[in-house]
Amino acid sequence: MMKLSYVKKAIITAACVALCVVLPMAFHAIPNAGGIYCPMHIPVLLCGLICGAPFGLLCGLLGPLASALITQMPPMAYLPPMLVELAVYGLVAGVMMRFVKTKHLYADLYSSLVAAMVAGRIVAGIAKALIFAPGKITLAAWAGAYFVTALPGIIIQLALIPSIVVALEKAKLIPARYPKKRG
Amino acid sequence: MSTHRMGYVERNSPLHRMDGLSKLLFLLLFLISVIVTQSVGGFLLLIAALLLCARLGKVSWQTVLGGIWQLRFFFLLIFLMNFAFFDAEHAFFSWWIFTFSREGLLFGAKTVVRVLLAMAVGNIFTAVTTPVAITGAMETLLYPLQWIGVPVRDVAMILGVAIQFVPLFLRETDTIKMAQTARGAPFYSRKLSERAGCVLPLVLPVFLSAFKRADELACAMEARGYVRKKGRMPLHRRHFRKADFLCLGGGIALCMLAIFVFR
Repeated sequence: MMKLSYVKKAIITAACVALCVVLPMAFHAIPNAGGIYCPMHIPVLLCGLICGAPFGLLCGLLGPLASALITQMPPMAYLPPMLVELAVYGLVAGVMMRFVKTKHLYADLYSSLVAAMVAGRIVAGIAKALIFAPGKITLAAWAGAYFVTALPGIIIQLALIPSIVVALEKAKLIPARYPKKRG
Repeated sequence: MSTHRMGYVERNSPLHRMDGLSKLLFLLLFLISVIVTQSVGGFLLLIAALLLCARLGKVSWQTVLGGIWQLRFFFLLIFLMNFAFFDAEHAFFSWWIFTFSREGLLFGAKTVVRVLLAMAVGNIFTAVTTPVAITGAMETLLYPLQWIGVPVRDVAMILGVAIQFVPLFLRETDTIKMAQTARGAPFYSRKLSERAGCVLPLVLPVFLSAFKRADELACAMEARGYVRKKGRMPLHRRHFRKADFLCLGGGIALCMLAIFVFR
């Protein structure tokens, strides 16, 4: 299978933006699921990993915006730091997938995912401390909100996203990163 | 027959026939007026304009007030906080940390009315404008960003496709949820751990189905010769009618009155 075309990348990004609206609604049956399971992070990270940095960045910006406009989730007060966090997720995931090539799909995926998740949380913390809530956020509060409360979400993302990428490759919906040589 | 599509209510009304761009500009001007207005007369004028919009768009009261009833306690809280904590010279009475005054009462009422007006006009706008028209209007409004290298047309296309995908994916998520429930997944269990555990079998099929849809659409677009190049023309060219100019004129007049008379 050839590389993804521009149109395909754009439409996959649109699908990921739509999933940013749909997945939080599906998780809605569980109380406080947004903060714990972070359902909106999955499509953004996936978009960055599959379509690259510019589309990942776009998905990180449009996803929460579309969700806030259509479903009023997240509330407008939480939207700006979330935009920053998700945009960095998509961007870093794409950049890492572009440059990290270990010849092992899972190694590439996990290193990109972990780097993106850490970078997004650090940038969101810095943005909150300097711009959105200056002087109100402490290191303990940041670690509590982004690592302790979101721990189930982090585990789900680490378990689920590589599996989704592999499943999509097997279903031939995206090109294989390391195609098997014939013969 | 009326059809509901992400807030859009299909009707044959003057507002429905108008261009998306003029409605979006009116919405922005109305919101500026809501923020700027300070006097009671100004708010009455804005309420009258809102009622006129609802009448012209044949929008029902349920649609105009949609989502407002669910937020009644939030509005009450905003009102009480402004009323009880407003720092005024002439208070009705003071007790502990609370100061009840006429100024606080007015400020609380104004804040609530502002939020109500903004929500109601937003509801009317989404009821009379299709998501595609909203995307097209946003593309036109964001056009200047193209000069600094932002691919506005692509962004608008992605947003438009995403908005079209949302109801489709919602239906598919529901179908997958029902299928998994039939297989014994405890989506409606009282135990939180059981409900959390069955989220995973839901997510993977949803993603596969979404990517399959995206692949089909991308193939169809490529097969029909969709290419990314400058100078693409829209299928329906935007042309303003008399009603669009009237709408814009009304918005500008409201904004001017709010800034120069009712501020």
